[in-house]
Amino acid sequence: MFKNLTITLYLLLAGPVALAGGTYQTPDEFLKESFADTPPEPAVVWLSGQRKTVVEQILGHRYPTLRIRYWRDGARSAWILEEVGKEQPITVGVVVNRARIERIKVLVFRESRGWEVRHPFFTDQFKEARLNDKRQLDRHIDGISGATLSVRAMKKLATLALYLDTVTREQDVTSAP
Amino acid sequence: MSRQHHRKQRFKLRSFYIWHRYMGIGAALFALIIAATGLLLNHTEDFKLDSRYVNSDWVLDWYGIRAPEKLLSFAAGGQHVTLMGEHLYLNRKEIAGEFHDLVGAVRTHDLFVVAVSDSILLLTPRGEIVERLGDEDGVPAGIRRIGIDQRQQLVAESNLDYYQADADFLKWQRLQQASQSVQWAPSGAPDPRLVLSLQQHYRGEVLPMERVVLDLHSGRFFGKAGPWVFDIAALLLMLLSLTGTWIWLKRRR
Repeated sequence: MFKNLTITLYLLLAGPVALAGGTYQTPDEFLKESFADTPPEPAVVWLSGQRKTVVEQILGHRYPTLRIRYWRDGARSAWILEEVGKEQPITVGVVVNRARIERIKVLVFRESRGWEVRHPFFTDQFKEARLNDKRQLDRHIDGISGATLSVRAMKKLATLALYLDTVTREQDVTSAP
Repeated sequence: MSRQHHRKQRFKLRSFYIWHRYMGIGAALFALIIAATGLLLNHTEDFKLDSRYVNSDWVLDWYGIRAPEKLLSFAAGGQHVTLMGEHLYLNRKEIAGEFHDLVGAVRTHDLFVVAVSDSILLLTPRGEIVERLGDEDGVPAGIRRIGIDQRQQLVAESNLDYYQADADFLKWQRLQQASQSVQWAPSGAPDPRLVLSLQQHYRGEVLPMERVVLDLHSGRFFGKAGPWVFDIAALLLMLLSLTGTWIWLKRRR
């Protein structure tokens, strides 16, 4: 009886912690899933000049690397991006189709709180979102209580993916600064 | 009777007053330390005590904080890439992040290529991270050493094979054998002045100021006996307030 109670208590307490973080899907699997098992060759966009400034405006800080890898097939592009929620980076996969978000998915979540952002009830809000003239998402995204910083990180990454999709279609982004 | 009683009372009061003064002098220094550190601790975020670090050599020595004596360094393009503990440096510039297992560093075109933490790190000459490539980007597992061939392209030797990256590090190709012309990254001890500078930098990022202020406040800064001494000082301050009140009341009468 006591043993069963201990196990139940352990599961109740450890359950949410176990759910809290981890790799939900590898970037490789995400790309295969997004491009029917045959992802296109990767390309890179350098964050230099005006692009660097805009990315800093979107994120509120510099992106940790100077170039970002992406995969493009016609009007569709896929992005694997990272942004810190509270203390640890959240890895997110975003597919943009004709300047609108087709899907966004949390791939790796390393924080101990805020993991609810990985659920479809939250990520589905981004579907068909696009950038307005102020380089902001054209719709309101409902937050999640207790996951404010993760929600903010997801919104920033969605905006970043849409911006980078636009510039990679319009500019030469392959040259180093 | 009355005069004798008054004399006794005055003697008692004078005796208390003398004790009160000695206790005051004894506790004054501790009161100052406790009050000053208490003020600082109440405003930790304003003073950024949790994000600023102690650089003073004697304080770091007092805490027994030493930089790792063993470091691994590779000379590349006239500069040194060095791993000290979990800190990676390009010359004196620390690279953001935590690292382990430095395998090699080479310079190719305008980039430094560093094999570290089972990944390939691309750095600008100013130490900015261009990209960090992992196995999901095609980087072979178990890299043992890296080098550059005569076309300035990266070659990596893993446990089983040789691999070559294209000019943009987007694709990796398996090689049957590495060319004789490959120049493998040579490890070597950096200049002693650089080592000293890195050790100072390393030590200067370990001890937050908040910890020192907290230890000063509790007395732990002064060793094992410190908290006991501060306990006695606290008792003295309590007695001081009691004797002060008592003397004031007696004088009023």
